[in-house]
Amino acid sequence: MQALANNLNNTTITDHLVSRCKKGDVHAFRELYNAYSAAMYNICLRMTGNTADAEDTLQEAFMQVFRNIERLENAGSVTAWIKRIVVNHCLSHLRKKKVYFEEVDNIDVGDEDGAVDEDSFAWTVAAIRDAIHVLPHGYRTVLNLYIFEEYSHKEIAAMLDISESTVKTQYMRAKDKVRQIVKQKNAIR
Amino acid sequence: MPEKSLEDFIRQHRSAFEEEGPPPGLWTQLEKELHPPKKNKVIQMLGRHWLKAAAILVLVVNSVMIIQFLQMKKAQSLKNISPELQEASMYYTTQIEQRLEAIRVYPASVLGLDSAARKELELRNDTYQLLEAELIQNPGNERIKAAMVRYYQLKLDLLDKILDELRTKQPVRQKQSEYEREI
Repeated sequence: MQALANNLNNTTITDHLVSRCKKGDVHAFRELYNAYSAAMYNICLRMTGNTADAEDTLQEAFMQVFRNIERLENAGSVTAWIKRIVVNHCLSHLRKKKVYFEEVDNIDVGDEDGAVDEDSFAWTVAAIRDAIHVLPHGYRTVLNLYIFEEYSHKEIAAMLDISESTVKTQYMRAKDKVRQIVKQKNAIR
Repeated sequence: MPEKSLEDFIRQHRSAFEEEGPPPGLWTQLEKELHPPKKNKVIQMLGRHWLKAAAILVLVVNSVMIIQFLQMKKAQSLKNISPELQEASMYYTTQIEQRLEAIRVYPASVLGLDSAARKELELRNDTYQLLEAELIQNPGNERIKAAMVRYYQLKLDLLDKILDELRTKQPVRQKQSEYEREI
């Protein structure tokens, strides 16, 4: 009951905040920015791979959010809406940097959540983060969008304008690559 | 402790993957973009539409130059088209202007002409402008040249007749005497 009350309360606050933003209230813009900038900055950082590009992309994305918020029909979907704008900006940034998301020949990738990681070894946050950081842009983008941003393969395929099977293949390759890198690091230690 | 899969590990340690938010200066930059320093509206518009402004400027300058060129050409045309007509024109123009000056001395009540008729008496009336335009378009046409001379002569005759009548109606004034002395 308390959770429901909190949820309703949050929804009302969000509705009110979005409504103030739609009226061009700069204080409301700041509140919206404070509420979402950290999470969105992390998306930018993961997607672009460096702080300078992440900051630029975040700034551009938030300007679009502020300029277009009056088009947002459902205030309840503001998080997904902002996240999508941020992701789109990151993708255009990558395209500007000549990162192409091309079709690849299908390989038998099996079940996407299957036993690829059956070998048990010590995952660590730092090791995974470092491994993802050195992945080729295409792999890193697919892996980030799937694992961290929780988009489906179908949604990712639409965003990158490639087939769903290519997304699955790229994702499995990216995961293998991460495993290899972390394994190598563990072996060195 | 070993983990089963990469996805599981990331899901379980999701918050540990989050770094700090953006630097505090980023909001200041965004705020500046939301409220850019207010420049003069004209300068802002020029900045935004400089290409359009340049194109309009070029068009305006071109139009002014074309109009000036056409006017100059028109002014020079009669002289270039027919030097002999230019000579005749100067003679008749002087004569006609003298008659018109003399007529203007009389009050409208004595003159007895309405504004339309007075306008028709002027040298550069509609007929004159029509003939001039025709001559510019057909510079070698002798009939138009003859018509122009005939126009001058008729106008001069008409003005002389009006002046005669006016002299009969109204006693000769100082200015009329001057006119008579001139001719």
